[in-house]
Amino acid sequence: MTTSGTAAAPHAADGEAGIVVDGVRRAFGQVQAVRSVSLHARAGRVTGLVGPNGSGKTTLLLMLASLLAPDAGSIRIDGIDPVADPQAARARLGWMPDALGAWGTLTSRETLVVTARLYGMPKAEASARADALLAEVGLVELADAAARVLSRGQKQRLGLARALVHDPRVLLLDEPASGLDPQARIELRLLLRRFAAEGRTVLVSSHILSELEEVVDDAVFLLGGATVDPARVEAASRRARPWRVRLAGADGAAAVDAVAAALGVPAESVGVDRRDVVVSLETDEDAAAALRELVTKGLDVVEFAAAQGSLERTFLDLGDGRPPQAAPGPPASTPPPAAADESEATS
Amino acid sequence: MSGQRLGTIVGLELMQRTRSVAWYVLLGVFALLLVIVTGLSFLAWGGVAAPGGAIYSTIVYITLLLIVLVSPTLSGNAINGDRDAATLAPVQVTLATTSEILLGKTLAAWITGLAFVVVALPFLVIATFAGGGALTTITVSLLVLVFEVGIIAAIGVALSGILSRPLFSVATTYLVVMALVVGTVIAFALVGFTIRSEVTTHYRSLDWEHYSGDTYPCMPGDKPSDENPCDDVELACGEWTTSTHEVPRFDHVWWLLAANPFVILADATPTQFDSGGYPRDLFGQIKFGVRAAQQPPDLEPSYDDCSPMRQDQQPTPREIIDQSTPSWFVGMTLQLLLAAGLLWWAWARTRTPAGRLPSGTRIA
Repeated sequence: MTTSGTAAAPHAADGEAGIVVDGVRRAFGQVQAVRSVSLHARAGRVTGLVGPNGSGKTTLLLMLASLLAPDAGSIRIDGIDPVADPQAARARLGWMPDALGAWGTLTSRETLVVTARLYGMPKAEASARADALLAEVGLVELADAAARVLSRGQKQRLGLARALVHDPRVLLLDEPASGLDPQARIELRLLLRRFAAEGRTVLVSSHILSELEEVVDDAVFLLGGATVDPARVEAASRRARPWRVRLAGADGAAAVDAVAAALGVPAESVGVDRRDVVVSLETDEDAAAALRELVTKGLDVVEFAAAQGSLERTFLDLGDGRPPQAAPGPPASTPPPAAADESEATS
Repeated sequence: MSGQRLGTIVGLELMQRTRSVAWYVLLGVFALLLVIVTGLSFLAWGGVAAPGGAIYSTIVYITLLLIVLVSPTLSGNAINGDRDAATLAPVQVTLATTSEILLGKTLAAWITGLAFVVVALPFLVIATFAGGGALTTITVSLLVLVFEVGIIAAIGVALSGILSRPLFSVATTYLVVMALVVGTVIAFALVGFTIRSEVTTHYRSLDWEHYSGDTYPCMPGDKPSDENPCDDVELACGEWTTSTHEVPRFDHVWWLLAANPFVILADATPTQFDSGGYPRDLFGQIKFGVRAAQQPPDLEPSYDDCSPMRQDQQPTPREIIDQSTPSWFVGMTLQLLLAAGLLWWAWARTRTPAGRLPSGTRIA
């Protein structure tokens, strides 16, 4: 995956497929929710929207979904301006909100049929479409259960099915994986990949960066209501990242000296996390060299892996609030293992 | 505006309403109230020759009253309630337009309110068989009832789109409806008493001090006879006296009552009169009251005992009603303007992509 270049191209041609956002601002009273967002989510790719709480992700998605008008800037959905021609934009958009408002007394099937009818589908077609979608999101057994009795994860699936009712070309998903069980997450991932393969545009926001990492082609970082400059993202992604090393038959505390000695670094710069030793390495090339070194020195390496996904690391680095032009941190500054633990706990 | 999308929104609303138990309980309570009211009106109007019209009008009025009391809760949170439940945005993001959503919700609330009229129908049939209101009375009063249910539904839906808190918009709907029902009457009374005119009464009596007969003096031009045993003396006329007092001018403010739903119902319905020219039902009595308020008071009345007795009689209610201006279409127009204006405001507030949002509003 690439984290660079996606936030560029603000002046793409109007007719271009995908989502093109240029210099969008939106305030609610005194609160400037979105200050300056420019991005290009390309057709045929899954684009991740990453940012901390309150960074303006949902506000941005509401504007893309034609529900909110931007104060300034322009939005193009497959070349259509949702402010000038919301109807045309809505025909192409599938929107899955973060909190699904389900009509409590309606069954899952009815919910989908009603939505299809609101998109102008004839009755028979709407009914067939509802059944197909229920099968796709795995709600067939609950087709005739009132939406009120669905669990959170089941509601998420219903929300996804509802967003897909009219076979949209552009899919906007706000935290789609929250509340889903592992099986459903895998299915969601496959579905999004299939969508992208069909040449559609998928924009997905999520806090679960490890999940996002496995599905997105591009990522857009949002901080304080503004898209992060690609150069800054690039810089953040170049910073040293922690790698986990596990030796056969030795727990972290026992292995730390051996690993430090093998790599020729002071033992204090190497962290311990439960069974693993955590070393800080800057690039993939450094990691490859370190692994070669460990194996050559005869250590029984059974696991050698990045402790953080690159999205997660970039996100955390950006979140530190360092100025964009700051040089990458000193190589020796190993992120404390506890931090890696914490970020995993949130996923 | 697409019929299919409109129909879908109406269907969606009705599906949700008809699946709640509370709704059937409400209809049941309503039916029970009507049983009691019908029974009581049969007792109350038992002494009248043809009580059908009276009973019929009582039941229609009670139905209107209950609808006025219940309707705001049926429509007063249509938009903002959905927004709170996060079910509005998923509809707005489809091809359904803001007008379709507003109109669909209004129609659904209207149909829901009409369910109360349907429950009242058996009782109206009973009243009709009990001595028969006229067909025109039944038709027109039912049409007005249907119209009023629609107006209240529209006001409720509109206010729910204008105000962001469901509780507040339901309360405001009640206030607006009560302004029409009670407020118009209060305004009518207060403004009518505020605009006062001075009445100058002239009076001349006979010079009784110089009369000493046993009976009474003949009026000028009368001759004593067996039927009229007056004294054939000419009494001198006394002096003219003048007194003044103030009267309220309800004839200037009668139109304030026009927008009252109960007045519209009464005013629009053709009245059945008895042989004395008195209305037979509640509608007619209220209509007479409103129409009588149109009559300007006589500001310079003079009473002269010296001139022969004038033969003018009080006009009957029938004559007053026939001579006065019908106000129901003025009232209906005012209500339509109010509902349409509020709906337009709600449309501007609910439109997407939303520009300025009312404070405290979440779009989704």
